[in-house]
Amino acid sequence: MATQLNVLPEPVEAAASAGPIKGLVVNIQNFCTQDGPGIRTTVFLKACSLRCKWCSNPETIHPKPELAYKRSKCIGAKECGRCLKLPCPEGAMYVVDGPDDKVHVNWDLVGHCGAECASVCPTGALYMFGQEMTVDEVLEQVEKDSPFFAESGGGVTVSGGECQLQPDFVAALLSEAHNRGINTAIETASNVPFRFCEKVLPHVDFVYHDIKFIDPVRHKKWTGVDNKRILDNLKRAYETWPDKKFIARTPLIPGVNDSEEDIRAVLAFIQPHKNVIKYELLPYHRFGQSKYEFLGRNYELADFQTPPAEVVAKLRAIVDEAFGRKGWSEVNNPLQPPLAEDMK
Amino acid sequence: MSEAPKRIAINAGGPYVPGLNAVVAGAALAAHELGWEAFGIRDGYEGLLFRDRYPQGGLLKLAPEGVAGIAEAADGFLGTSRIDPFYVRTIQKYEDEMEGVEEIDRSSELLTTLQNEQIDGVISVVGRRPLSIALKLANKGLKTLCVPESVENDIASTMSLGFNTALSFSIELLERLRTAARATRKIAVAEVLGEHTGWLALQAGIAACADAILIPEIPFDLAKVAQRLKQNQESGRAPSLIVVSEGARAVQQGQPHLESTGTIEHTRRALSPGASEEGTDGGRKVIDRSGAAAAAVALEIQRRSDRETFPFVLSEILRGGRLTATDCQLGMAYGAAAVRAFHDGHSGVLIAFQPQIAYVPLADAVNKIRTVPPDSQFLQAARAMGISLGD
Repeated sequence: MATQLNVLPEPVEAAASAGPIKGLVVNIQNFCTQDGPGIRTTVFLKACSLRCKWCSNPETIHPKPELAYKRSKCIGAKECGRCLKLPCPEGAMYVVDGPDDKVHVNWDLVGHCGAECASVCPTGALYMFGQEMTVDEVLEQVEKDSPFFAESGGGVTVSGGECQLQPDFVAALLSEAHNRGINTAIETASNVPFRFCEKVLPHVDFVYHDIKFIDPVRHKKWTGVDNKRILDNLKRAYETWPDKKFIARTPLIPGVNDSEEDIRAVLAFIQPHKNVIKYELLPYHRFGQSKYEFLGRNYELADFQTPPAEVVAKLRAIVDEAFGRKGWSEVNNPLQPPLAEDMK
Repeated sequence: MSEAPKRIAINAGGPYVPGLNAVVAGAALAAHELGWEAFGIRDGYEGLLFRDRYPQGGLLKLAPEGVAGIAEAADGFLGTSRIDPFYVRTIQKYEDEMEGVEEIDRSSELLTTLQNEQIDGVISVVGRRPLSIALKLANKGLKTLCVPESVENDIASTMSLGFNTALSFSIELLERLRTAARATRKIAVAEVLGEHTGWLALQAGIAACADAILIPEIPFDLAKVAQRLKQNQESGRAPSLIVVSEGARAVQQGQPHLESTGTIEHTRRALSPGASEEGTDGGRKVIDRSGAAAAAVALEIQRRSDRETFPFVLSEILRGGRLTATDCQLGMAYGAAAVRAFHDGHSGVLIAFQPQIAYVPLADAVNKIRTVPPDSQFLQAARAMGISLGD
């Protein structure tokens, strides 16, 4: 029997009677240039159904708000100690006798208590990832950047986590963005029931979707689950919305999926579908590593390096050749017209 | 006073230390003496949470004739696991044939399984961090007692099982290192376990006649260490051995120095060993800071002296091998004391050796670390011997 997704939001109809629908938002980031055409505002949502070992947004994985701790910002128990004076229900904060009086967090005891400790921390050493927001609250922030959208052809991008795990909220958000004249994009791994896609995708102008592997065994090894649902969803989405623009993406993880065979397998999957207008290769980076530390988690790929430039160049050439366009595997505007040399 | 259990189970909650078998033997024999039944849980709580992986059962009956000779055996025949039943990474099946990963609280399921097996109480042999898991289970109603084990000796209020064996082996290895370094006119920089506490480095370093001992409790200045080594050399005592705890912190003019030294706890929250389902554990590579302190100190000392240095790491190797007589006795005594504590109606406590057996509530035992106090006799001895502490 299928398990109920614990991140399933309330249906829109039900939520309407209880007030405006809310989403669990981790961050709203301005002036993004990597998440769609033009200058964009990216809304990061919480919850993901994959556990990719290279994930650069670990703060978005879990479906509930969670505590984070940046130890370098703690000014110590003698100077402050406010978090230690609270009646913490978990007893998760402590100090160690000795010269260093900075607070320690016992991550094994940290629960989802509401984290009053974060609210009293004067330096922001303790803080929360994830807060409930309404569509209007999100768009109020997004619209501050609207002058840049008009100039650059940008708009709003909803990312995650897996944004389609909050389908009603995302559908409402993007629909309202359209009403306000803002173009929309999502970044998705597509590991959701297809009915979630049916709610979200009608409101999306640009669908940026990952294909990490075609091989299901290695997909399971590196992300936790196989990719049957993902590939089925993508194929069905390409066919259901032939006029929508899809941009495939592969994070290139050295020694994991950066072989020529891997990239050619993805090309073979997407190329029969003409609405997949672009295929971007994203070389692995470790920008998210510090966030694992802030969340008290292990980063499993600490010894992984960015893939060698010559490997990336070789793979890019394969993609460029397949699409007949130079630079078409890089992160750039999917709407840019072909160059004269591309047309040769 | 609650009713004493009649069927008890022993959980090795990790990490592995020499002497686990002694606790098992002591508890099983003491239980038998009371007419109780004793069982071992295979691989920590994994034996009960992943029963399909144990075709012969996740519980192993501990008969007195079977445990009498196991105390000194090096292998932990039960297996250990630090799995947190409140946070078990699990692959779920959802609608539309979708698979997803979630971290599931399976603590209620664990308690139900124990109840179904008619286990009345659990003795958990655990290190400092898994004590928190035992506390959470105790708060949820599990009748449990904890036996402290730690090669770092960092659990407050008690002497931990495994420390004495690790100390003895460390001394032997350090002596070999010192001899080898002296013969080649080099300086060996040996890193030993000790994230917050320097007991192992301090006691082993003194016994092995180290030239410098760097521990987490005393931030060290490498300029002062180098100066001391130079003085020693000029007075005819050629330096050959520096012992550094993995969590020792370098400072320079009072400010933190050398990023690769210092606390590492925040990078080490363990995922459940059950976090990786079969077939998903490839590429599992946790942040491994082991050796970082030794490498950093060795490099800096070499820059500041006229001697070549080489780092050496004594980490996981200290968890293996035959246990010492002290740990054998301590383990047997802890096991027997835990059964006696159950018999006397105790639960939710840590069995402490002070050196009389005492019972410390688990809530008072977590979040406390047994550090080397500034007035420690060992520190005074080290200073008296001319050993640099880097301050």
